[in-house]
Amino acid sequence: MQEHESAILHCTGEAVFINDMPVSENLLIGHVIYSKHAHAKILEIDFSDAVKLKGVHSILSYKEIPGINQMGPIIHDELCMVENEVTSIGQAILLIAADSKEIAIEAEKLIEIKYEPLEAILSIESAIEKYNLLAPKRKIERGNLQKGFEDSAHIIEGTLKTGAQEHWYLETQICLCIPGEGNEIKAYSSTQHPSETQAIIAEVLGISSKDVEVEVKRIGGAFGGKETEANHIAAWCALLCNATKRPVKIHLFRDDDQIITGKRHRFLSKYKVGFNDEGIINAYSVELNSDAGSATDLSMAILERAMLHADNSYFIPNIKIIGRAYKTNMPSNVAMRGFGGPQAIAVIETAIDKIARYLKMDSAEIRYKNFYKIENNNISPYGQCIENNRLFILFDKLIKSSDYIKRREEINEFNKSNEFYKKGMAITPVKFGISFTTSFLNQAGALVNIYKDGTVLVNHGGTEMGQGLNTKILKITSKELGIKLVKIKVNATNTSKIPNTSATAASSGSDLNGMAVKNAIETIKSRLSEFVVDEFRKKYEGICSKKHNIKFENNFVYDIKIPERKISFNELISNAYLNQISLSSTGYYKTPNIGFDREKGQGKPFHYFAYGMAVSEVIVDTLTGYNKILRTDILHDAGDTLNKGIDKGQVIGGFIQGTGWVTTEDIKWDSDGHLLNHSPDTYKIPTIQDIPEDFRIELLEGYPNENTIRKSKAVGEPPLMLAFSVWLAIKDAISAVGNHEFEPDFSLPATNEVILLSIEKIRKLQKEPA
Amino acid sequence: MNNSVKFVLDDKIIELDFSRDLKYKPTTTVLNYLRDLSDHKGVKEGCAEGDCGACTVALGELDGNKISYKAVDSCLVFLPMIHGKQIITVENLKNKGELHPVQSAMVECFGSQCGYCTPGFIMSLFALYKNHNNPSKGIVEDALSGNLCRCTGYQFILYSALMACQNDGADHFSEKETQIVKLLKEINKDKKTISLITNNQCYFKPFNLDDALLLRKNYPDAILINGASDIALRQTKNNELLKDIIDLSAIDELKRFEENDDGYYFGSGLSLEALKNYSEKKLKPLYDILKVFGSLQIRNLATIGGNIGSASPIGDTLPVLIAYGAKVILQSAESRRDVSIEEYIKGYRKTDLRKDEIITSVFIPKLNEKSKIKTYKVSKRKDLDISTVSSAFRVSVENEIVKDICMAYGGMAEITKRAKTAETYLLKKKWSRTNIEVAMELIYNEFEPLSDARAESEFRRVAAKNLLMKFFNDLQINNGILKLV
Repeated sequence: MQEHESAILHCTGEAVFINDMPVSENLLIGHVIYSKHAHAKILEIDFSDAVKLKGVHSILSYKEIPGINQMGPIIHDELCMVENEVTSIGQAILLIAADSKEIAIEAEKLIEIKYEPLEAILSIESAIEKYNLLAPKRKIERGNLQKGFEDSAHIIEGTLKTGAQEHWYLETQICLCIPGEGNEIKAYSSTQHPSETQAIIAEVLGISSKDVEVEVKRIGGAFGGKETEANHIAAWCALLCNATKRPVKIHLFRDDDQIITGKRHRFLSKYKVGFNDEGIINAYSVELNSDAGSATDLSMAILERAMLHADNSYFIPNIKIIGRAYKTNMPSNVAMRGFGGPQAIAVIETAIDKIARYLKMDSAEIRYKNFYKIENNNISPYGQCIENNRLFILFDKLIKSSDYIKRREEINEFNKSNEFYKKGMAITPVKFGISFTTSFLNQAGALVNIYKDGTVLVNHGGTEMGQGLNTKILKITSKELGIKLVKIKVNATNTSKIPNTSATAASSGSDLNGMAVKNAIETIKSRLSEFVVDEFRKKYEGICSKKHNIKFENNFVYDIKIPERKISFNELISNAYLNQISLSSTGYYKTPNIGFDREKGQGKPFHYFAYGMAVSEVIVDTLTGYNKILRTDILHDAGDTLNKGIDKGQVIGGFIQGTGWVTTEDIKWDSDGHLLNHSPDTYKIPTIQDIPEDFRIELLEGYPNENTIRKSKAVGEPPLMLAFSVWLAIKDAISAVGNHEFEPDFSLPATNEVILLSIEKIRKLQKEPA
Repeated sequence: MNNSVKFVLDDKIIELDFSRDLKYKPTTTVLNYLRDLSDHKGVKEGCAEGDCGACTVALGELDGNKISYKAVDSCLVFLPMIHGKQIITVENLKNKGELHPVQSAMVECFGSQCGYCTPGFIMSLFALYKNHNNPSKGIVEDALSGNLCRCTGYQFILYSALMACQNDGADHFSEKETQIVKLLKEINKDKKTISLITNNQCYFKPFNLDDALLLRKNYPDAILINGASDIALRQTKNNELLKDIIDLSAIDELKRFEENDDGYYFGSGLSLEALKNYSEKKLKPLYDILKVFGSLQIRNLATIGGNIGSASPIGDTLPVLIAYGAKVILQSAESRRDVSIEEYIKGYRKTDLRKDEIITSVFIPKLNEKSKIKTYKVSKRKDLDISTVSSAFRVSVENEIVKDICMAYGGMAEITKRAKTAETYLLKKKWSRTNIEVAMELIYNEFEPLSDARAESEFRRVAAKNLLMKFFNDLQINNGILKLV
């Protein structure tokens, strides 16, 4: 297996992140003074003393923005810097450029901002109460819901709250801007979306995109948190750079990063499910209500993806999905791995879990019975056919390999003989749609240069943030050109090389950019093949070689019909150059045959689906709420994997990140909206001790994905949702306290607090006379 | 006057003269110092509070004619604290173009994704490699629980560790050991107090207790530090200027461990990791709580004196010390006082320590065999997390009747506090489930803990009462004798 292309650099400390770049003595440090109130009028700002401090070079307010004061990516409702009113904590009020961070902090102490606090909406409950919608509600429906419920023998209703999640990338938000000639500016930004960063810098500076160059070498973790948030840091940095005409770097301090930036959207969902004695679902209605925060950002797209995943892996004949995003006075919530999918899947998985307890059946059985079928019952609520359904293959293999049935019996035995420790287990599936649901975003560009010495430089529009995109691009290039990896380099992503790119998001990085690179190579290969046919004609007698028979393999280019006609790749390149053949080409790709009508809630939004399944077993200490994952078995579908090590890494990483979200990653705010968990002291992502004691991860083999780059599948986001197996295993263990006779009070995350208090309620119910 | 700090970096002695060089202040952290150099940018800042490990470096310390290697969070270490030590960063691991075994294992096992946390992991792995041959999974997990990674989900890092640490720790550092020992000995010859006086800070690093006590007398408002893992946060997180500092980390007299017939004396300067290792055999309850204290990087810095000195209501060692009936030895230039730990704690982060005194050691008495002690910690995350509730119980039972009981709780009040009502109830009663259940309700009603970022009050109360049931359940009476199970 080919290692991660930067692995050696990572391990020797030689990998250069933005904060490690050598910079001139002229560098200034940018510092953001942000709002401390969730909603307030700004009465007065006095920075007259601060600006006089030695070492302070510039202090900017919105008044000094030369261009447009806005940085909303789609809807222009997010100011770059606040004017007269703050609508959430963390909004930029002033920007300081100083010789050092220490001086900037000294300056901050001299600044006085007077606020007049206004009423603030700080919870989704109060937003719902005030019906403070961000945009009109959305709807997807099919069948006859009312009749569906009437025809159902049983109905369960409920509400589920799912919590926010902090991205907790190790590298906090950072941007370094360097002024050029005239209006020119170059930004080194830790952004998932260089083209948008470029556009927003241009907008706030009032210049054109051609004068802004954004470069991304590598990102120290992103997870969606640098899809739009990075634009903000870049815009502030660019403003300071423009004002001082000196290089400026903004690198957010951890606590500031957690306070300023948005999180995974909190959802408050209401559901009603109708089913028969067998547990087969006939009707399902769900209202997904999200806390968008103070601006639109990507909230509507996130809500849309949530709605498109309300069914997860299950065929439901009568269904109504309502989506509402609410505006609150919280920092605007943003993209995070799964992009709404996890919040919706949590609801249907909860409904199924409840059905199982209600019918006293194993939840695995209920899941199996409701899976999308192969021949019929295979149309999603939004009208897309579920093709290449892998659910049954995964389920059958995993139930066997995990020894599910035997272990279920063992768990029951264990629970009978232990009063204070209880075990639980759950199997959960994920079916995740791959493509941006805003269809036009499904495009990518590439630029491939072959140099005279036969080495290749690949440019593409995706960003490398650890997911191994560049490792996959290297492999694609190597396979397509038939040359060794050492002869290929993937360049830093740069807007001057590849224009108008989409964000590296929606798990689509290698699908889109891999294809664009391949198409660029195809163009060059076509020219080279034509040339080589001509060369062979001159050199060899007999029938001419055909262009389509020319193959690039093992550092040679040859005719597959007449293999002795061959030339080394290097020699060919050298000759091609001398014969004035262009050795460089752009490539372009757009995902074919997709489209979604938002108004109707119908269409084919996804190019394909990625599938995965997991079984987790946990043990819970019912006296403290402490829990431990004893074993997890995952079987995940990555098509024909482009790199097993990389893809397994994505599966494990996504699963553990999801496990954090469903267990320890609790976020609290005080009554004024101040974030309480603003550092790793109180915000707890998983450590090495939180991973399953016995952890078995396999990729589904022998199931290629047609019509994608080398028959692979996207793998970034889907595994995160496999963590529901942990969440529901915990619930199963809690339920065992009351011998599965009481439905546990449960929410997400299931912290030890949620677990313990849920157990206490069951214990009280047990004591009550029936 | 000795006003420079010397340490070994890149196999050379580096001298920082604070009377001349104004680039650094005495409390500049090792992290910021390294990142300021052009060739040590592998070390990263992830949180500046010792909770993520991205800034992990290894410290080489003289141990006779050998060097012992410890992983520490460089964001919490002030420059004078590494005086006389070797500092090893990720850049030092490659040798003549060859990767170190821990590096090649990480490459091979896909142990890195984005790469930002990787140098920190590499350094924790390096310390593990030097200290353990074929470590168990438990040892690996303990060595790495102070390093957060958001990309990989850790499994492949775990594999790397198991793959790399399969020999006796031999590497190019072993080959250079004699040479480095010589350099360190040369630095450590000089035992004159280091005094770093700048225009707004005075930093003293004495090498013996007498000097320390004299400094304490002359600078009664100076902050005492040893590992500084708590104090450093005032600078790194709150941007506070730490004015006067007395650094006790170089005083060997404070690092002693003695056992006599009555009990154990632990020097206040013993790191919690050293204390953990000393207590493993004989003071299991103390060991149990130290095992889940912070991370290895933190335990390598933090000292028992510091944990007692801050007297935080969530300080993990306090409940167990109360349960043991421990004493704190407070020494001034003139006198010595032995104060019981309960009397020593005066209020929220307030203690009985006088402005001319230093905590020199902690005494833990040997208990009679009938006394059983156990400690518990409830935190949101098992490792590298501060207690939501912690407790230590001591009980002795004769003929099923409770003769003596102590139930000390952390996280339930403004100080570490005993559940007196419940204790009184249980005393002289039968050690039975019925009585325990009554006592649980008394505990529930006895405390009014805070709701904060970690948990709500209700959770703390429920957990606190349940811990007594856990203790009851962990003890069994066999033939009239109480035993821990």
